[in-house]
Amino acid sequence: MDPTDKPATVEQAHDDLVRHSLAKISGDLARLIYLASTRDYNTGKYHHDGLAAQFRPEIACQALEMAHRQIFGRIAGCPLERLVGEVEAYVNSSPQSRREVLEVWQKLEPYRVALPLNVNIAVAQLFISNIKLALAVLQHRRERKAAGPSGS
Amino acid sequence: MIGFASLMAGVVLLLLLVAFAANGWMAARDSWEARIAQDDNAGAEICPPEFVGHVFSRQDWEFIRGMRAPELAALFQQERKRVALVWVRQTSAMIQRAMREHATAARQSKNVDFPTELKIWRQFVSLVLICGTLSLAIQIAGPLWLASLARVAQRLSEQMTNVQSAFRPAPPVSADAAGSE
Repeated sequence: MDPTDKPATVEQAHDDLVRHSLAKISGDLARLIYLASTRDYNTGKYHHDGLAAQFRPEIACQALEMAHRQIFGRIAGCPLERLVGEVEAYVNSSPQSRREVLEVWQKLEPYRVALPLNVNIAVAQLFISNIKLALAVLQHRRERKAAGPSGS
Repeated sequence: MIGFASLMAGVVLLLLLVAFAANGWMAARDSWEARIAQDDNAGAEICPPEFVGHVFSRQDWEFIRGMRAPELAALFQQERKRVALVWVRQTSAMIQRAMREHATAARQSKNVDFPTELKIWRQFVSLVLICGTLSLAIQIAGPLWLASLARVAQRLSEQMTNVQSAFRPAPPVSADAAGSE
């Protein structure tokens, strides 16, 4: 069936996205990174083949953007302690070593590309700052663990 | 009586000078946050009110302090100071923009209500003073002690932008929109 025949709304596409693609990803930070990765760097438009096939590419794009903004809002506003847990879960789910992921994230700051377009600059700054702090906390815990019980 | 009035006028003038000096100094700082916060087109999304509570709250600080790591505590204070200053600059830029727009609208209006105008100007001056004070206090002591003042600034800036948007003329109806009806 041609997707242009379906009178679908952005909300329906968003629900579908949340129930299927996003439900399979564990943790809001991982979902945020995934959603940011569906966005074209040059145009800022979101693409998702499955969603575009089921609905329409424009509807899919808006649904992805909506989900991106919602999850970003949740992460930017969450307490630092919870964010540390989110970053830790994300780092642990990576096939690379924990040390390597932490170092690369601290040096390259790839989380900066996870910002939605036209997000409030103060909120964006809080998100970046909190991720930086969460990485520093995890780095500190790793070093403390490596130093052993006498290292504290 | 005249002596007291002169003293008050002097204090207000001094505070204004400090506020403008601090504002000018910070605007001159070459950081991307400062540039974006001052840009009229950037940060199109409105800053949510709960954000202020988060930046100025002690909850995250208690978590970091519990880790007993001086380098983490120093990083936290440095980072929170930076975020709080971005918000103050943004609020300051927003109210200045709102005031500019309002002044333009008031100049073109034929029936200006002076008590309302006076009230708006009083709010504007209060906000300029509060933002100046917040900037200096954040630089000196960090944001964790300033939650109440930040809430006042947030509330006043909301009130002011609401009043200002009430004065804004309705946008003209586009040909497409008109045609579709």
